[in-house]
Amino acid sequence: MLDKIIIDGLSFGLPLFVMAIGGIYSERSGITNLALEGLQGAGAFVGALVAFFMMQSLGANSQLPYYAAMLFAMLGGMLYAMLHGLLCVKFKADQVISGVVINILAMALTEFLTKVVNRVAFGKPSNKFELGVSQRWTVPGLSEIPVIGAFFKDIYPFEVIIIVVAVIAWYVLYRTKFGLHLRACGDNPHAVDAAGIDVAKIRFIAVMVSGALSGLAGMSFAYSISANYSSGIYVGYGYLSIAALIFGNWKIVPTLGACMLFGFANSAGHQVVKAAGLPSSYSDLIMILPYVLTMLLLVFFSKHNDAPKALGEIYDKGKR
Amino acid sequence: MKKRKVNPVAKLFVKLLGNEKYQVFTIPMFAILLSLIVGAAVIAALGKDPVSAYLNLLQGCGIWPKAKYAGGKSMMTDFFSFMNYWTPMIFASLAVAVALKAGLFNIGVSGQMLAAGFVSTVLIGYSSLAAPIAKPLVVIVAIIVGGMVGALIGWLKYKFNINEVVSSIMINYIIQYVVAFLINTKYVDPVSRQSANVSDASRLTLMSTQIGGFKYDIPLGIVLAVIVALIIQFVFDKTTFGYEIKAVGLNRKAAHYAGINVGRKMVVAMLISGALSGLAGATYYLGYFCSIQPKVLAATGFDSIAVALLGNSNPLGILLSSFLISIMGKGKTYMSSSAGLDAEIASVITGLILLFSACGAFIQYLVKRSKENIADIERANKAEVDK
Repeated sequence: MLDKIIIDGLSFGLPLFVMAIGGIYSERSGITNLALEGLQGAGAFVGALVAFFMMQSLGANSQLPYYAAMLFAMLGGMLYAMLHGLLCVKFKADQVISGVVINILAMALTEFLTKVVNRVAFGKPSNKFELGVSQRWTVPGLSEIPVIGAFFKDIYPFEVIIIVVAVIAWYVLYRTKFGLHLRACGDNPHAVDAAGIDVAKIRFIAVMVSGALSGLAGMSFAYSISANYSSGIYVGYGYLSIAALIFGNWKIVPTLGACMLFGFANSAGHQVVKAAGLPSSYSDLIMILPYVLTMLLLVFFSKHNDAPKALGEIYDKGKR
Repeated sequence: MKKRKVNPVAKLFVKLLGNEKYQVFTIPMFAILLSLIVGAAVIAALGKDPVSAYLNLLQGCGIWPKAKYAGGKSMMTDFFSFMNYWTPMIFASLAVAVALKAGLFNIGVSGQMLAAGFVSTVLIGYSSLAAPIAKPLVVIVAIIVGGMVGALIGWLKYKFNINEVVSSIMINYIIQYVVAFLINTKYVDPVSRQSANVSDASRLTLMSTQIGGFKYDIPLGIVLAVIVALIIQFVFDKTTFGYEIKAVGLNRKAAHYAGINVGRKMVVAMLISGALSGLAGATYYLGYFCSIQPKVLAATGFDSIAVALLGNSNPLGILLSSFLISIMGKGKTYMSSSAGLDAEIASVITGLILLFSACGAFIQYLVKRSKENIADIERANKAEVDK
């Protein structure tokens, strides 16, 4: 049972985490990003579309569509995020408005396009792309260790991709010049500008990164939880990862903690209901655990919660 | 020197949108027009007639007459059901707007709606109270429950510095799951898999009421919604209380220096916002619908954010913007059945309207720049003539 808690907790918490990293990139650069929900859905739509077409020609057994889906979900998320970047950076729109609008538009567009593609390309009335569940890996040897072994058992390939991406993202944000500039943009864009660095460009890139990472997360959810792509992907995980990153105080490592808390509390709840032999409706009651826990922790840890100083401010070169 | 010509398109653009006094109105109108044109292009690309599709939207809402009506139905029947759909959207958008005025972002409207709707359903909807007692009680219970949830979010922000976005999201989930649990264990209708229907006496919409041979679904809440919108407009324009809330929203530090109790104002603003969400919940779950689908948050709660912003957080603006967005939401069913278009296209157009409206500041900037441009050219030309 403990094994199952760890396995399911990771497969839910890690996609949340990579999406939250995207949010951190955007928000540390000074762009409020409520659009994560829409970005993950739009990214996953592109990925699922590519995978679905590839599956028609390659057959269901090939693993190629899976990796192509991950790649194209990142590209799709990045592309769609440019809209948010354009609105916030170039058009100087209110960032909260832009985020909400991007979400609404993403839901409408992907739902519409899924139906149209299904009808035009495959001639059937369907509002989803069947993808099947991803294969799983077990590391021989390591997975035999009690308790810790569960971390190496039944891993989805996307979890490995996410960990690699997360390490790179951490390195870039905290150990490179670009990361330093990015973080400075969120705290004091005028100083960055005075140092001769293009604030708009850095912010735009940051938003695109958030799109790519959200797309990866969305695709992971589509391949694990639902086994298909449909409008069911918009269940609020984007908002949940925003909560995680604020809870993690806009820092990558504490955010990982928050996401793991969501993940493990979630899977533990399910296992407890199963083990106690309760009717499935009781799992709903258990499902509130991660959120109640978060609220309690926030009561104790929020005093020192500080958003990036220039978060949400439209950067205007002429204004001081 | 050659005489420079003024670009006629730019000139028309400036002439239509240049007057700053009316820009609050003209720029959103321009954005809406632009999105309708893009939407029309999409519909045309799908091989359908955009004009008739748009007319279908209006016909579905009873704003434009249909070719023929079934027995007992008329254009007013459609318009009343449209108002029934429109009412919760007004309340929800007002809820977002009031919080925004105080500088708070209430993303938890749908959770507050659900909490209020559920408690009113259980306490009043399942009772055997007579209509004259039940209906006001539904409204009161919904206001209290919604207000309490809202105030809790404000209090957590004030007392523990918990970001209202995070707490609203967490509370959304908590309410959603607790309500789902209670419905599934105690109040479920085994056939519909939703909560059992509330009594007709408690429902805020008088369903299928016969007047002069026609049937109408009369939403009582719409009257309240318009009154509430006017009251909020008055409070923010004319009272000290409204002014103080706005001051807190504009600059917390300055408001504090001016002697305003910032924390208390934030809690009160969230209380009012929550109460309005409660009204949205009552008119949604005990008006437009008569039962609750477990584990689903109403999309109205999220759409209302965009509607409030489209209406510039101004109550009268919100009446207009919610009217427009509700046409898309309500009319799409009829459009899809009579034009053979996917209903989702209406949602896409809604998204486009919101997208272009979000660019309002940029449009304003463009107008200003071309205005200056034109003035420059004309001045140069005049100087040339004078020489």
